Amino acid sequence: MSFFSEDRVSELKDLFFESAAELLQALNEQGLELERRPTDAEVVRSVRRTVHTLKGDSAACGYTALSDLAHELEDALTPELAKARGKRVAEVVLGAADVFQDMLRAYRKNSEPPSGAGLFAEIRALVSRIEAPELTVLAPAKKAINKFEWSEYEKILLQDAGRRGLKVLQLSLAVDPNCTTRAVAWQMVKNTFQDLGTVLLMLPEDAASMEKVDNLFAAIASSFDAEHVAKKCRIPMVICDVVVERLSASEAPPVAAEMEKKDEAKVVPSLPVEEASNDGEPAELGTASLSAAPESTLRVDAEKIDAVLNLVGELIIGKSMLTQSISEFDKKFGRDPLHAKFADVLGFQARVLADLQKSVMKVRMVPVEQLFRRFGRIVRDVAKACGREVRLELAGQNTDLDKSILDTLAEPIAHLVRNAISHGIESPEERAVAGKERFGTVRLNAYHQGNNVVIEVSDDGRGIDREKVIKKAIERGIIQAGEAKNLTEGEALNLIFHSGLSTAEEVTSVAGRGVGMDVVKTVLDRLKGSVAIETEVGQGSTFYLKVPLTLAIIKALMFRSAEKLYAVPLTSVVEIVRATEAEIHRVDQHEVLRLRNEVLTLVRLNRLSGQSEKKSKIFVVVVAVGDRKFGLLVDKLVGEEELVIKALDHHLVSTELVSGASILGDGTVVLILDVQAVVSKLGRARTQEIKSAGATA
Amino acid sequence: MFDTLVRKDRKPIRYLVVDDSVFARKNIIKMLEQFGGQLAGEAGDGCTAITEYDRAKPDVVLMDITMPQMEGIEAAEKIIRNHPEARVIMVSSVGYQENIVAALQKGAKHFVQKPVKPEVLYEVIKYVMGEEAVSMQGAAAGDAQS
Repeated sequence: MSFFSEDRVSELKDLFFESAAELLQALNEQGLELERRPTDAEVVRSVRRTVHTLKGDSAACGYTALSDLAHELEDALTPELAKARGKRVAEVVLGAADVFQDMLRAYRKNSEPPSGAGLFAEIRALVSRIEAPELTVLAPAKKAINKFEWSEYEKILLQDAGRRGLKVLQLSLAVDPNCTTRAVAWQMVKNTFQDLGTVLLMLPEDAASMEKVDNLFAAIASSFDAEHVAKKCRIPMVICDVVVERLSASEAPPVAAEMEKKDEAKVVPSLPVEEASNDGEPAELGTASLSAAPESTLRVDAEKIDAVLNLVGELIIGKSMLTQSISEFDKKFGRDPLHAKFADVLGFQARVLADLQKSVMKVRMVPVEQLFRRFGRIVRDVAKACGREVRLELAGQNTDLDKSILDTLAEPIAHLVRNAISHGIESPEERAVAGKERFGTVRLNAYHQGNNVVIEVSDDGRGIDREKVIKKAIERGIIQAGEAKNLTEGEALNLIFHSGLSTAEEVTSVAGRGVGMDVVKTVLDRLKGSVAIETEVGQGSTFYLKVPLTLAIIKALMFRSAEKLYAVPLTSVVEIVRATEAEIHRVDQHEVLRLRNEVLTLVRLNRLSGQSEKKSKIFVVVVAVGDRKFGLLVDKLVGEEELVIKALDHHLVSTELVSGASILGDGTVVLILDVQAVVSKLGRARTQEIKSAGATA
Repeated sequence: MFDTLVRKDRKPIRYLVVDDSVFARKNIIKMLEQFGGQLAGEAGDGCTAITEYDRAKPDVVLMDITMPQMEGIEAAEKIIRNHPEARVIMVSSVGYQENIVAALQKGAKHFVQKPVKPEVLYEVIKYVMGEEAVSMQGAAAGDAQS
C-alpha cells in the first residue's frame, strides 16, 4: 500500500477496524445462533459469509495471520460438517471470534498478534474424520506479552490495592504451546499464585476459557520480589515465559491516573487510546449505518469534545457573572432604557448557551445497546461454566448515555450479570423442583429517570437471603450483632457491597472473588450514581444502577445554613416546605416532621458544622435518597442555578459530605452537598447518640 | 544424562511411588534413579500410599490417579491434609483433566502426563522441590546411565 499516503493508509485501517468489530459482533451472534440450531444450513452459511468478509478485509490490510486463520475457518465451515459435529462447530466459531478479537486488538496497537496455532489445530481437528491425536510436533515456545490491558474496572481494583499498601505485581504468562491440558495449567498457575500471595486479578477468569488463549494475565499482591515470583511461575511443561512488573502505588496504570483526573475535573475525561483497546468493541463502533455511509461520519478524539465541554462550562460561569453584573446595574440605573436591551440579549444568550451545552452533551452520548449486545456472549459463557440454562432479555437499548460513563459501567454490569447467573439463577433441576421454567432469565433494562439513567440488572433466580447476609456480616465483624435488628431491609441488603463479604458458599472462579461487589459500589460512587437492590427470596433480584447523564454540569438548589452557602442537586430535591420549630417532634433520637401523611426524618445542617441555633420559622428542603425521603433544615433559600462542578482536591476538603464545589457569577464559592453522605452521617450520628445514651443510663 | 538432583543437605531426594501397575511403578523408579533419587516406598493403592507416607516421610510423592480401593485424588487429599508440606505430583493420562484439576485444588503440586517422559519428570521434580533441591553435575549417586 506504499502508493497511498500515510493518511490514506491510517484512514483505511481505521475503516477496517471499524467494520471488523462489526463483523466480530455478527460472528458472535451467529455463533450463538449456531449453537441453538447447529444443523441449520442457513446459519452455517451466514457464519461463513462473515468469516469470508473478515478474511478478505484483513488480507487487504496486510494482516496475514488473521486472514490465514479466517481462511482456514471458512474452508472448514460447511453444512455437512455442522451436521456431523453439531455443537462443537459453534464452540470453535465462538472461540475463533475470541482469537480474532485478540489479534485485532494487537494489530490496532501495531504489535505482534497472538498465535492462532491453537485455533488452527482446533479447526483441523474439527475437519478430520477421526479426532486428531494430540499434536506431536512441538510448537515453538511463545514469548509472554509484555503489555497489560486491564479494563477500567480492573484498574480501579489494582489502584485500590496499591493504596491499601499492598505490593502489586503484574504478571503475563505465556502458556507452553505443548501443554494440552489447559484447564490443569490454569489451576496450577492459580495454585502457584496463591502460594505467592493474594490473587487480585486473573485472566482468563476460569479454567474453561483457558482453552482458547495463549496468555494468562494476572495481578497479585505478594511480599516476594519479582525475580522469585517469575521463577515460581515458570512452571515446567505449563508456562514457557513470564513477565513480571512491579506496580507501585504512585504509578498506577495510566488509565487509573486518568480516572483520578476525572475525579478532580468532574468533567468526564476522554480515553482515546484506551477506548480503542477496551475489550468488547472498539470505541468507534457506531451504529450499523456507519460503514454504509462513512463519509457523513466524523471521527473525533474524545479529548477534543471534552475541551469543548469544558469551555461551555466556563461560558456558563460567564453567563452568571453577566447576570450578576446586570442586576447590580439595575439597582443603580433601574429606569435606564438600556435595561430592557440587556435583558433581551441575556435571554438570547442563555438560550443559545443551553442549546450549545445540549449539543455537546449529545455528541458524547451513545445508546446503551453498544454495551448490552456484548452480554449475549458473556451470559452464554458464564451459564455454560456454571451449568445453568439462561436466557438474556434486553430492553431500552436505545437509551443514550455518556460514552465514558457507559464504558466505566461495563465491568460493574458484567460483574452483576455474572453474579446473577452463578449465585442467583438455580440449576435447571432446582428450578424444576421450585416449579419454575428450566431456563432462568437475566434481564437488562435501561431508561431515563429525570436527569439520570437507570440500568436494571435483574434475574429470576433464588434472590438474596437477607438473614444470610446479616449473619455473614456479623461473622466477618462488619456489623455488631446488636445493630442487626435495627437495620432496614435496604441497609441489610447494602451490606453485600461491603468489601470481603461474599455470600456464595464457595468462591468460584466465575464470581465471588469477594472484591467484586464493593468495587461495583466504588465505581457508582465515583460516577455520582447509586445502586439499589430489590430482592425476594425465591423470586429473584434486581439491581438498579442509577447514573447521572453527565458529570459536568448540574442544576442545583442553593441555600444558606449557618452562614455558609450550600447547594444540593435539584434532581434529588422533591419539594420545599416551611415549618415552625413547634412542628418538629423528637421520636427515637430523631427529629421528625409530619408532612401530610408522611413522617420525615430531619437533618440539621448547622449541626453538621457544629453549631446549633433555634429559629421560629424554618425551611425544610425535602430530598429523596433511594426510596426514602429526608428533610434538610436550612436557614435561607438562595435560588436555583446551573452549577459547573469544579475540582475539589481531597487535601482541601476533609469531609465526605461535600461532593464538589462551584463558582458563582460574583465569585462566591458554593459547596455542593453529597446528599447521600449527609443522610448517612445522620444515621451514624444517631447510633452514636444511642450508644452514648446507653452508656450514661 | 541427567545432573544429579539432591536435597539441600546433599542427601538424595526420597520418593514414594504410587501406582497400581507394577510396570508403571518400575518405569518411574528407574527414571528417579537416573536423577540420583532414592526410593522411600512404593504403594499399589491409595490406602497403602497413606500409611507408606506416614512411615517413610518421603520428599516427593508420585501419585497415579486411577487405582483400585482408593483413588489417587482421595489419597493425595488425605496425605496433604495430614502433612501440609507434602509434595504430591499427580501422574495421569490427559483424558482425566477434571480429575487433575480436582487434585490440584486439593493441594497437589504438579502433574505429569502418562506416558511419563524422563526429561519432563526431571523438570517437574526440580520445580516442585524449588530451593530445597540442588543439581550437581556429573557425580551420579544412583545407577547413572553411562
